Parts: sequence; structure tokens; C-alpha cells
Amino acid sequence: MIDCSNVRFTYDGERFVLRGIDLHIADGEFVCILGGNGSGKSTLAKHMNALLVPDEGCVRVAGRDTQDEEYVYDIRSTAGMVFQNPDDQLVASLVEDDVAFGPENLGVESAHIAERVKQALKEVGLVGFERHETHALSGGQKQRVAIAGVLAMEPRALILDEASSMLDPRGRKGLMRVCHELNDRGMTIIMITHYMEEAAAADRVVVMNEGRIACEGTPEEVLTQADELAALNLDVPYSCQLGLALQKAGMHVVPHVNETQMVAEIVAKLSEVGKLGEAGHAKDIDPAFHATAPAPSEDALLRFEDVFFTYTKSKKERKRKKLGSKPEERAAWGNDPNEVWALKDISFELRRGEFLGIAGHTGSGKSTLLQHMNGLLQPSRGRVLVGGEDLADKKAAAAAKARIGIVFQYPERQLFATTVFDDVAFGPRNLGLSGDEVEARVRESLSRVGLSIDSLRDMSPFELSGGQQRRVAFAGVLAMNPEALVLDEPVAGLDPVARREFLELIAQLHKQGTTIVMVSHSMDDLAAMCDRVVVLKEGEIVRQGTPAHVFMHAAKLNEIGLGLPAPQRMAYALIDAGAPLSADELYSIDSLAAEIASIAEGGAR
Amino acid sequence: MNEVFSFGSYYPGDSPLHKCDARTKLTLGFVFLIVALMAQGFAGLGVIAVFVAFLYVVSRIPFGKAMRSLAPLMAIALICALLNLFVDQSGETLFKWGIIEISTGSVHSCLFVGCRIILMMMGMSLITMTTTTLDLTAAVEQMLHPFARFGVPAHELGMILGIALRFMPQFATELANVYHAQISRGAALDGSPVKGLRMLSSVTIPLFASVFRHAETLSAAMDARCYHGEEGRTRLHPLCYSKFDAFAIAAFAVLVCGVVAVNVLL
Repeated sequence: MIDCSNVRFTYDGERFVLRGIDLHIADGEFVCILGGNGSGKSTLAKHMNALLVPDEGCVRVAGRDTQDEEYVYDIRSTAGMVFQNPDDQLVASLVEDDVAFGPENLGVESAHIAERVKQALKEVGLVGFERHETHALSGGQKQRVAIAGVLAMEPRALILDEASSMLDPRGRKGLMRVCHELNDRGMTIIMITHYMEEAAAADRVVVMNEGRIACEGTPEEVLTQADELAALNLDVPYSCQLGLALQKAGMHVVPHVNETQMVAEIVAKLSEVGKLGEAGHAKDIDPAFHATAPAPSEDALLRFEDVFFTYTKSKKERKRKKLGSKPEERAAWGNDPNEVWALKDISFELRRGEFLGIAGHTGSGKSTLLQHMNGLLQPSRGRVLVGGEDLADKKAAAAAKARIGIVFQYPERQLFATTVFDDVAFGPRNLGLSGDEVEARVRESLSRVGLSIDSLRDMSPFELSGGQQRRVAFAGVLAMNPEALVLDEPVAGLDPVARREFLELIAQLHKQGTTIVMVSHSMDDLAAMCDRVVVLKEGEIVRQGTPAHVFMHAAKLNEIGLGLPAPQRMAYALIDAGAPLSADELYSIDSLAAEIASIAEGGAR
Repeated sequence: MNEVFSFGSYYPGDSPLHKCDARTKLTLGFVFLIVALMAQGFAGLGVIAVFVAFLYVVSRIPFGKAMRSLAPLMAIALICALLNLFVDQSGETLFKWGIIEISTGSVHSCLFVGCRIILMMMGMSLITMTTTTLDLTAAVEQMLHPFARFGVPAHELGMILGIALRFMPQFATELANVYHAQISRGAALDGSPVKGLRMLSSVTIPLFASVFRHAETLSAAMDARCYHGEEGRTRLHPLCYSKFDAFAIAAFAVLVCGVVAVNVLL
């Protein structure tokens, strides 16, 4: 299907981004290309549909050389491409017009276009969305529209260039499902990603590093090589981590990339040593799952008291919406402006020095909640108190902006100044500080995010790498010297290395004494880092407490669709299969491996 | 958040008005403006009002929704009407205070101009409410086509217009996000002019950066979907005239006759 032989490519004529790629992709294969930022994987993808042509070597798509200008449109319609950002690859305002864009360019007859559009939307599970406006769709839906737009060109291969990296877990799941369904029907899928669980489901994994193919093979072969992956700055899937940890503890298990297989393997091993009991009881539901607001404590930095918020302003409208018989089609859940309440009866507090996690889907009201924390939004009912002062008071709200620093999602998008210094100094200058103080604040906050003021001072923030830009944006908020730092999905869209670095940075800031609130989709990150977790669903708090307390309720969290941290998920699966693990402990990979190993050893004795 | 941009936005449906060709609607919209300017008295406006009401009924657009999307523009109508209040001084003087003088004539022309502008807006927004932006841009493109031989890039203009409209709501959202972020860093529009200017640039520069970022990927995405200009391009919904266009033209003929007759007879 796609043949790359000794492909070399350079953007600037000096540094080669691709340095001799040999890759053969067969018809109907599902290939995942992994690699850190700058490994050349996106550049390679662009070669596969003739957006770029190699400087040396050759790329053939369905037997046609991409150098040959005559076949450019044949190649692009044979190997269609979906890009990373859901927001800037849709051309039309309406879904059907966007899907039709490709076939229109190919000069397909109108009647046939209509058929193709219908078929393509059916294949991505968006029947009935023809007349919807593209900007009102969720990120996951937008990406599926983009896939439909490619499918309407009747391609034989689909290339996804980090198409899932900006989606939430739910959107990612939908995207993966579509890809696998298409693959089952014979479509070749080439998926560029840095999510290991996606790679684990592929037929073949290709790992790229510095413009070369570092290793390739089945997911089992590639993803279980912990040391090599670490050297390539990639993660090992959780199930493999468990398998490897067990190996280290002396158990003879083969690490699997698939959790179900891994659990089956461990169960088999445990039953060999006669340590398997009755089928388990992990799914006990605690009757007290419902959220209980904690009693007010002395050291609350921020407190929400029975906060309600609605985007619809007048009472009359609210009433009408409530009575309205037909629920809005696109608001199955969420932060739709037509939603009656965006926040319902929110009560919680943030204590000085703690690390609070907020979990919930896109549209569960998280962003609305954050905007209440420093008075950007005022509650329709209830109170928000910062250090005991009600934010309904204008002065208190202004002061709160310095006390509670909010880092919004993709904070690098708010950079604007001509130099890094000016950008970070924006906050302190707004506070009216003197030149010396501003200088000191900028120096301190840059060093806190691990950047040096001397080398960056006069650089334009736009020249920096993505990760550095985000650090500068963090510094811009830290320079306000806030008592608490609120982070809205601080690691969204980053590759594994950068993710790890940022999580470490956040942990370090917390250690230095800053109170942290982190919003995240990743239950694993929340379980590992937070002192307490608040779970939001459709604008309501459904759970709050310590991670152990919150994640102990598998059934309920699955119902919300948030899932569990991976170790806990595997532990419950093991308990269900009869492994004598304690059901009321919050496991990490290491503690789970240790417990399994000790059970197995106990049996051997 | 994006209330402003709901002005005249497309309302999906399949009424006869939706089915009319976009070119017909644009041309008749132009005719409608002329007719509205022709009307010389309230009787003429009455005929037009009846006609507009009739079109709204035919279009099956809920009245409330239409009014809400028009509300922001009513301010313009109000300002125009108020200006007329002070310009026209004919007739009996009703009120006088310094140079401000209100007479029967000024009240009359104030109301007349107000009604006329509101009717014009209601009529014109029917076009945008019943036509998708893509159809509108295609219509503009085709109507400009005769000028292509004089070097007017008709197709490109249409495409640019379409993409601009597609990205409008997106930039509105992004603007709101950046605004919130900068407000959170203590920015404020009040205070000294220097501070205000800094605030303004802190919001607009990220927006421009985002426009360029989007443009880059969008152009790659369009390339990837085989876009290569106008040549050999077909359309999902090609513009074509139908019986509804004939009805529309007939209806407008009636309107023109009606207004002219009222002008002449009264």
C-alpha cells in the first residue's frame, strides 16, 4: 500500500528531519507510529499523502511515486489525512458541506457526492448530523467529521497525525472505535500517536527517533521493552509495567500490552500455586457514595458554599427551558449555554497547602467552576469565599485575582509580549509594582518553572518550543505570587516526556508550599498526585475525598464514564477472578505488584 | 457567550424560502431594499410589513428566535430614528428646549425611518436565516463570475468569505478565553491609557497569533483534501433555479406593484 525507501528530508536544507526511512505498509494493516516530539513522525505522515515530497529516496502510495505531479490528487484521495487540531481542519460551517469538500474538489457528480456524504457519516457514527454546525460539535465529533471528510474521497488508507492528542478520553475512545471498525472493513490505518493504549491495539508498532526508525514489531514485542522505550522517551503501558514489576519480584509472567490478557496471565499463575479463591466481590457499591461537603475548617483558602450558576440570565427563560419538552439534541450532557444550570449546588473547600484534583468530563462544568474561583464569573446563587471574603464584593474579586492564579488550558496561547520578560511581567505590572519588584518577581517565577532569565530575557516567546512556551505561561501566572495555583489540564496535548516533566514541575511547586488545584482527565495522574479529589458530573459534585476514598467505587465511576486508575482497574479485575487481594486499598503499580508477588510466594512456600 | 454572533445565523429548515436559489434571494433582497426606500408613507410600509410577515410565516422560522437574533441591530434602527427626530422640523412645534426642537413632522419622520429600517433589517436577515453561508458564498461567487474576465477573482473571494464565516464563532470563543486569562493576570480596561493599551494588545496579539496558526494547518488540510482552486470542482448542492424562484419573483412583482400603487393612490 505505502512504500517508503530510504526517505530523507530536510525543511531548511541543513538539518535532516528524516534520515533514511524504510517502511512498508501492507494493505489492510493497522500501524501505529510512535515517537517523541521532533522525532519526525508528523513529517513522515505528510510524505505519505504527498503534502511533502522526499529530498532523497522515494515514497510510493498504491504503486505511484509521490514525486509525480500528475498523480498528486490520486495519491491524496487514496491516502487521506486527518490532522491534530480539531478546530482548524474543517472548512465549512455545516457538517455535510465539510464532508463534501473533498469529493467536490475531485469533481465528483453532485448526486454521487450526496451518497458519499451519507455513507461517510454513517461510518463514523454521525448519522443525522448533516445539518449541524461544525463549531458547535465536541472535539471528538469534529475529528470524526474530519475522518468522514476523508472517507468521502473513498480512500484505501487513512493517516491520522496525532488526531487524538487534543481530545478527552471519551472523544479518544470514539475515535479509536471508528478506526478499528474501518480497519475491520479493510481500510489501512496509519496512526501517529503518543498514547500507548492506542499503540497496544495496533497490528504493528513503529517507533521513530531522530528521523530514523528505532524499532518496529508487534505491540507485544515493542512495548514490553521498558529500557529501550525509556531511552526513546516513551512510556510503557500500565499492564506491561505491572508484568515487568512482577518479573522483577521474581514471578515468571510474560508482560502483555492488553490488560485483560495480563490479568488472565496473573490469574493463571496464581491458580497454579493454588492461591485463587472464590470469584470476587470488588463491585460492592458503597451506599454513601454521594458527595458530602466537609465541615468548614479554619484554614480554608477558598470555599464554595451552595454555588449554583446558569448561563441563561433571566429567571423566566430558565423556567421556560426547564419546561421545554424537547431536550436540545446536542446537549446530551454538558456545558451547553442552553443548559439550565451549569453548576448545581457546589460546596467544597480548598485548604491551604493541599493538592486538590478535579475530575470530570469535558462539559461537566469544570471550566465554569474554575472561572468562579477568582471572580471571573459570579454565582447565580450561593457564595464563593477566598480567605473568608465573599467574591460578590468587587474589591475582594479584584484581590482574588492575585491570590488565586489560574492557568487556563493551553496557556501558551495567551502569550503576547515581544519578549519573555515583558510577558511574565504583565501580571506584576498590572498589580502596580515597582520596576525592581517586577524584575525580582520575573526572575523568581522563571526560575521556579525551571527556566533561566538570563538566556530567555529578550527572546520572543513565539520563538520558544511548545513546552518552553507553556512554562513561560506558567511563570506569567506565578509572577502574581498567588497563594493557590489552579491548573486546567496542564498537560493537555503534550508528549510523554513533556507530560512527565510538567507533572514533576507541578509536584515541585506544591512541595515549595503553593496550594495546587489540578483539573485532569487522567485518573492515574490524579490518584498519584492529589491529597483530595472532587468528581464533577453535569455540574454537580458526585464525589469528594481522598483518592483512596473516591476511586474505591468502581461501578459508580464507570457509570460516570471516568473510569479508574489503571492499577486499581486491574486489581478489581483480579479480585473478580478470585485473587485474594484486599478490596479496600488504593493500589499503585508497585504496591499491586508487591501484593501479588507476596501472595504467589506465600503459595509456593 | 457567542450571543452576538447568533445575529442572522442560519436556521435549518426546508421551507419554500429555504429552497429558493441563493442568487434569487440576493437579487430580490436588493430589490426589496429599493422597494423599502421607495415607500413614501406609512401605507406603503404597511404593505411591506404585511409582505415581510408573510415571508416569515412561509419560512417557518419561530418569531421569537428571529427577534432575538435581530435585537442587537435594533440599536442601529433606534439611533437612526432618534437622529431624524432632531433633523426634520416641519409641522407644528411640540417641544422646544434650547436648540432642540421637536415637531409633529419630526415625530412622524422619526417613526417612519425607524419602521422602515426595522422592516429592511427583518427582510434582509431572512436571507441569512434561510441560506447557508456556503450557498451564499457560492451565489456571490457566481454573481461575480461575469467580472472574472476583468480580473476579479470570483472563486477565491467566495472561498475567503466562506472560511471567514466558518471561523467567526471559533475566534469569538478564543477571544473570550484569552480575555479571561488576561483578566486573571490582573489586566483591566480601566485605569491609565498605558494600562488599557497593554490590556488591548494582550488580547489581540494572541488572537492574531492564533489566526496565523489556524491558517497554516487549514491550508495543509485543504491541500490534503485535494483542493486546487476552481477548476473541475463540483458542488454537493449545486445552485439551480426551481419553481420556488418563480414564485418568489412573482411575489415580489406583487409587492412592487402594491407599493407603487399605494404611493400613487394615496
